[in-house]
Amino acid sequence: MPSPRFPIPQGTLDMLILQILSLEPAHGYGIAQRLEQISRSVVQVNQGSLYPALHRLQQKGWLRAEWKQSETGREAKFYSLTHTGRRQLAVEKNSWARLSGAVKLIFEEGSR
Amino acid sequence: MIHFLNWFRRGSLERGLDRELQYHFDRRVVDLSASGIPEPEARRRAAAELGLAQVREEVRDVWLTRWFRDFLYDLRFSVRSFLRSPGFTVVTLLSLALGIGATTAIYSLVDQVMLHALPVHDPASLVLVDWDGEEVAGGFGSWNLMSYPMCRDLQQQTRFFDGVLCRAETDVNLAAGGDPKPVAAEIVSGSYFSVLGIGPALGRVIEEPDDAAPGAGPVVVLSHDFWEAEFGGAADIIGRKLLINQHPMTIVGVAPVAFHGVDVGGVPALWIPASMYAEALPGAEDLLNSPTRWLQILARLRPDVTPAQAQTGLLPWFRPWLEENARRPGFPVIDAETRRRYLASSLSLTPAPQGHAPLRRTLSEPLWVLFAATGVLLGLACLNVAGLFLARGSARGREIGTRLALGASRGRIGRQLLADSFLLALAGGALGIALAQPAMRALLAFLPDYATDSALRPALSFRLLTFALFASVCAGLLSGLAPALHAGDGSLISSLRERAGTGFGGVRLRKCIVILQVAFSLILVIGAALFVRTLADLQAKGPGFDTASLVSFSLEPRKNGYSAADSHRLIERVLDAVRSLPLTRDSGIARNELLTDGSWRNHVTIQTDRRFTTDRGVDLNAVSPGFFATLNVRLLAGRNFDQHDSRAAAQTGPASAIVNEVFVKRYLTGRDPVGVQIGVGSGPDVKTDITIVGICASFNYRDLREEREQAFFSISDKNEDFGAAFYVKVRGTPDQAFQAIRQVVRNADPQLPILGLRTVDEQVTRSLNTERMLAALSGSFGALALLLSLIGLYGVMSFVVTRRTREIGIRLALGATGASAIRLVLRDAFAMVAAGIAVALPCAAALGKLVQSQLFGVTATDPATVAGAALVLAAGALVAAFIPAWRASNVNPTDALRLD
Repeated sequence: MPSPRFPIPQGTLDMLILQILSLEPAHGYGIAQRLEQISRSVVQVNQGSLYPALHRLQQKGWLRAEWKQSETGREAKFYSLTHTGRRQLAVEKNSWARLSGAVKLIFEEGSR
Repeated sequence: MIHFLNWFRRGSLERGLDRELQYHFDRRVVDLSASGIPEPEARRRAAAELGLAQVREEVRDVWLTRWFRDFLYDLRFSVRSFLRSPGFTVVTLLSLALGIGATTAIYSLVDQVMLHALPVHDPASLVLVDWDGEEVAGGFGSWNLMSYPMCRDLQQQTRFFDGVLCRAETDVNLAAGGDPKPVAAEIVSGSYFSVLGIGPALGRVIEEPDDAAPGAGPVVVLSHDFWEAEFGGAADIIGRKLLINQHPMTIVGVAPVAFHGVDVGGVPALWIPASMYAEALPGAEDLLNSPTRWLQILARLRPDVTPAQAQTGLLPWFRPWLEENARRPGFPVIDAETRRRYLASSLSLTPAPQGHAPLRRTLSEPLWVLFAATGVLLGLACLNVAGLFLARGSARGREIGTRLALGASRGRIGRQLLADSFLLALAGGALGIALAQPAMRALLAFLPDYATDSALRPALSFRLLTFALFASVCAGLLSGLAPALHAGDGSLISSLRERAGTGFGGVRLRKCIVILQVAFSLILVIGAALFVRTLADLQAKGPGFDTASLVSFSLEPRKNGYSAADSHRLIERVLDAVRSLPLTRDSGIARNELLTDGSWRNHVTIQTDRRFTTDRGVDLNAVSPGFFATLNVRLLAGRNFDQHDSRAAAQTGPASAIVNEVFVKRYLTGRDPVGVQIGVGSGPDVKTDITIVGICASFNYRDLREEREQAFFSISDKNEDFGAAFYVKVRGTPDQAFQAIRQVVRNADPQLPILGLRTVDEQVTRSLNTERMLAALSGSFGALALLLSLIGLYGVMSFVVTRRTREIGIRLALGATGASAIRLVLRDAFAMVAAGIAVALPCAAALGKLVQSQLFGVTATDPATVAGAALVLAAGALVAAFIPAWRASNVNPTDALRLD
């Protein structure tokens, strides 16, 4: 019996996708697998919500997509970070760090 | 907006998404199979994880937001359903297009004449400075007249103004190489262009030094249009000489394309500095130092000053100025009471971002009336479309019921119906804009004589398109709202159970619509009847003199360099030559032309057993002895002028006068007017040395409406001579006469332009242009409105008859006659018409007050006219309702009962 998994917090999926793609371009299935690996047993990512997110990020101009041959030899749609996407990732990381720092502070304050 | 484009490439987007998802799915199945799960189970798991249908929908929402996508689907659905019923579509489209087109066309005039700001720097800070109180000093021109010294002195008031300009319009004779011809000119102060912030397109504009002293600036600036039309846009135009009223002047610049002066109703061909007034206005006295009022003053307020502040702030300066002005040369002698009122005068400042335009004064009321009428017409068209929509809604009851049953929300259905009406309204709007252009051109052709030289253009502007769009959206809302709301109620079960054709579309709502339509159209029909009667009455009445075979033209020799005495001699010579033409029966001249909306007007002081002054201006004219006979105006008493009167030497001013009947009735009742002494003017210094020698019948002088007090003097070289209008009663056709007259004038002076050579009948027609515009347009609006409302009535009555077929069938089966069935239906129709009339009458009475000043010979609530209009409407309604009624009487009881 796997331990209970949390649904992914609102708004963090975009950040996770940007983070994964900042390492190397990937197709949807690849991103799903990476998410699965990273978050195994902690957060639960609905695979269905991945694609709307990818298309949204692409529409915002943070991702670009192209059809390339995948590792299996079939054509797959590879997403990669654009310049603005990279900037956006930095912004989100920064604000996430500030938010989690603040939450941690509040908890420490409360436990004292 | 990029989202919007996705709609057009949604096919390729969909295919891409399919491939992408398919890839994911296949990989997942392979991976799951590899981990030992049998393939069918793996496929099931992969599909469940991914939720394909859901993902697709969500991704589509990313491409295009949901409501927008729905809206586009709605539109597509609407287009299809419209294409399926072309008859309905054409009728509704045409109603809306006519309404929107008419409204847009009239609005274009309203906008250009009344709302459009001048194309100058910051028009919002311009104010018109006008006199408020007793003006005393004489003047010439249109309205808001001020003196030149006043403008100069206001320029010193820099506490309130960033600049002050003055201007006046006139016609000058211009010769650039060829024969002189009259062109419109604007006489302007040196500050004119700099205050307006208008720079030259070529050369320079008129500047302060040009206006520094009398005769200082013999220069002109050409308008861009005139430069192109007259000089072919020649690049070397600067420095060329031309003759203005035979005085040489130099072209120093060309104004920018869009700039047409400050009067939308009069476009100048060129601008002349005020310092050249003597050349531009031959015969004028010293205008730069005298208190004579002849220009309009526009000022630019400082940014931190409101008109009200400036108005009160100027008073401490203005009061002493009045005293000073009264000491200027040429200030009339006035009695103590007039002086008291004069000294209590103040200045009024009104915002004038649109500049100064007499046209606005005369046209604004007719235009607002027409604009209101088109608004009503558009409302009527919307109601008609709403009615048709309801009818279609009931025909589509089944379809809508089915969609509701399949789970569509009522809001969704309502939105679909709204999309229908919006699509229709926008298409109607586009069609309306296409219609608006020819309509505008036709409208401009209707405009009165004085507006033909105006800057009014039948051009579509951005503002106009915005307006048309606004009107279309309003029309869409108006016509779609009732049916859309209506789609929300009515029970689902019953709509499915009912036969098609009787479902939606409540009778009461549709009857309300028809009642409103009847009311609207009655208002328009009453308006049309009033304006048509006004025109007919004025035409039937005529100008009060005999216009048959009467030809007129004017000469202004002083604008061709003649002195006053030479000018008079030339005019006499031409008159003699005209008189001796074989085709001339009678001929005469007058100083002022008749029926041009203008006159020489002044108070008259009368000496009987007491001395008194007329309480209002009397229209004056100087005429030759043959004038009255030529116009067939009867002399009621006394004698006509003779050679002796016109040649009276040694005296200044006229010695004898003929006054009209109205003058006698107002001022000289109960005494013999012949022999009474009068004088022109109102001051205590006016000499009453003119003897009334005759009484003539009254006729119209300024326009066809007004029969005012008139006094005529004998024309002579002693009168101020600005030229003469010739009246010639001819034998044969006018064309022969025109030819002969042209020859006569050419013989006298080949360089002299002939002004306004035409028949007097044509002049009468021209002077009725406003009335004709109102009658023709309100007439067509009324007819259109009537047609629309009768179609509406017919529609709803047909609907009622269809619905009541069963009931009527039962009545007939029980022994009712066909006539009683007709009565049944007609009673229904007449109840609606009566209700509509009851709604319309108080509205028409209230609106009537607004149009009263445009009417002649009828009051706005004239019972005969109103009753006539109501009768026409009722007769039309009878026809419209009779067709369905007759069908009702022919219902076959067995068929009717078998229907269900």
